[in-house]
Amino acid sequence: MIKNFIKFEWKQFFRSSYFQKGIGIKIVLVFLALYFGGAALMLGVGLYFIIKEALPTMDPIVIVNNFLIYWLLFDLVIRFFMQQLPVMNVKPLMIIPVKRNTAINYLLGKTALSFFNFIPVFIFLPFSIVLLTNGYPVLNVIFWFFATFFLGLSNNFLNFLINKSNTVFYSLISVLALLIGLEFFDIFKISKPIGIAFNALYNNPILVLIPLILMIALYVLNFNYIKKGFYLDDAVSKKIKEVNAADLSWMNRFGSVAIFLKNDMKLIWRNARPKQVMMMSFLFLFYGLLFFTSKTYSDSPAWLAFASIFITGGFLMTFGQLVPSWDSEYYKLLMSQNIPYKKYLESKWYLMVFAVSISFVLSTPYLYFGWKIYGMIAAGALFNIGLNSFITLFGGALNRVPIELNVKAKAFSNTNGFNPTQLLIGLPKMVLPMLLFYVPYKFINFESGLLVLGLSGVLGIVFKNFFLNKIEKIYQNGKYKTIAAFKEKN
Amino acid sequence: MINTTELSKKYGGVTVLNIASLEIPKGQSFGLVGNNGAGKTTYFNLLLDLIKPTTGHVINNEIQVNTSENWKPFTAAFIDESFLIGYLTAEEYFYFIGELRGMNKADIDAFLIQFEDIFNDEILGKKKYLRDLSKGNQKKAGIVAALIGNPEVIILDEPFANLDPTTQIRLKKILKDLTKNSSATVLISSHDLGHVTEVCERIVVLEKGDIVKDLKTSEETLKELEAYFSV
Repeated sequence: MIKNFIKFEWKQFFRSSYFQKGIGIKIVLVFLALYFGGAALMLGVGLYFIIKEALPTMDPIVIVNNFLIYWLLFDLVIRFFMQQLPVMNVKPLMIIPVKRNTAINYLLGKTALSFFNFIPVFIFLPFSIVLLTNGYPVLNVIFWFFATFFLGLSNNFLNFLINKSNTVFYSLISVLALLIGLEFFDIFKISKPIGIAFNALYNNPILVLIPLILMIALYVLNFNYIKKGFYLDDAVSKKIKEVNAADLSWMNRFGSVAIFLKNDMKLIWRNARPKQVMMMSFLFLFYGLLFFTSKTYSDSPAWLAFASIFITGGFLMTFGQLVPSWDSEYYKLLMSQNIPYKKYLESKWYLMVFAVSISFVLSTPYLYFGWKIYGMIAAGALFNIGLNSFITLFGGALNRVPIELNVKAKAFSNTNGFNPTQLLIGLPKMVLPMLLFYVPYKFINFESGLLVLGLSGVLGIVFKNFFLNKIEKIYQNGKYKTIAAFKEKN
Repeated sequence: MINTTELSKKYGGVTVLNIASLEIPKGQSFGLVGNNGAGKTTYFNLLLDLIKPTTGHVINNEIQVNTSENWKPFTAAFIDESFLIGYLTAEEYFYFIGELRGMNKADIDAFLIQFEDIFNDEILGKKKYLRDLSKGNQKKAGIVAALIGNPEVIILDEPFANLDPTTQIRLKKILKDLTKNSSATVLISSHDLGHVTEVCERIVVLEKGDIVKDLKTSEETLKELEAYFSV
């Protein structure tokens, strides 16, 4: 039976529509997989030497153990967003003679092959080998490696349990933020006691049993959960959620685009996929921290321009690049109704402007890094509103991938917005603001760089109608193609 | 009202629809029947300019549908679930369509009263999204939405499928009243020969993309159709 399951899986994979078209996408995907795999491998090999170099007095394994907890928590967060329990098509299996246990074991076993479980192996295996070649005790290293492997898998199964409730997730995020904060400000270092625990684990190979038991326990929990829900009216059927209707009539002040804006608000609020995008775009707000705190970047202002675009542009880019796709489920309706394309596009533009403005307000704490940085964020926000929005909408117009609104995106199984045109469109989004800032900065001064970047955005707003008309043309020319593409369900 | 000239649609060399000429006068209730793959839905999609004709064109009230969009204000359709916005409640959906057709909330509320018995307390005020309704109830919502704003042309693809018997009977009455009391042109397709002969004054049979029969409905029509299809 398992053999059949694997055969189905194989067919599902190779017959899915995204796989059958676009050699370009395939190449890019393979390239990406190689890149991530390679990067992990390099990190694994280099980790020992990096730590040795940076902290010559410390034992690298101890340092790694101290920070293992952060890897685990971070891994869990990433998994929450990207990995879902693969609900194999259980419905057709329910009435044919397959033992439930077989199906469930297969379902859970399959998740062990997830991409997420390979990344730690790619890092920790070379790291362990480097340790061994440096004369660390063989038994301890090998069992330590297995311990990390089991912990990764525990995360794998823990995630499916967490995935069922948002509350657990938000508490997890808060705990993570709190711990990082406490650690950062030297108040309480959680990495200490946990580090001690992991070091004990390393020193006493027999303790590998603890992560092993943890993993098995989580597996059994998952198993029981799925088994309990193996009925039509339970896990297999969709949960019906009660409507949360908010009064959006205040949006009527936006005139003729209000009707679409109201719909878009509901779209974001009531569907899993756009919600996911919204949360991701929230994370973009913190993007600047990476740049502004690091010496290498804060000395080269062109990179600051780059970062400032992302701080306010997270939603704009992640949501905007899929603009007609968000409405793919009912695109035929829109096309046969009394709807001018331009109004439709304009409402999406307002939505982006709205998001950029909110992000800008939320980015106020960046004042901590000084007025220059904040000025940069402000100029970046203007660029986002005036130019980036149109570039993104233009890119979206060329993108014809249907989206299932109420299904979370899974890592690497969705190539939405992931085609050569998207990549090409992505380039000016990043390079343009850097150039707009850098050229006047180089020849005149910092302030003029800001001015040019900001003014470019203002110019874009002035020529809004021109841009919208151009994009509208693309929509009109691609109408039949888009309808046909959206009809194809994943 | 709707003139079709030399209309054909080919997919990779296979002709799925080929109509030399078809005229549907204003106010007619027009029925389209045919087995799977006969081209019914293709024809409706062409009427709504959702697919590109290989040759020919459709003129809806003097507007060629694939060159101008001005047919949209007076044409309404329900083809399949992709005409529903799944994350809206039925009311919100009706208000949305209404707003596109220039009607406010109060207009829509007044309009919906006449469908109370069809909705059978399962659609309005239920705090459920359209995607969570049953297939039948989704269909009801879609059909009613297509009637919003007194459109002059109404296109319904298999309106009776998935509906319960009571609703089928009620829907037949509504469709008959439409052409009797207003000048609306109604186009429906159906696999149920009984329903279609009851509702439509004219029935066209498609087979593999060609018109093989064009009948004015009379006492004998049902028998004739049954004879034709019982091969």
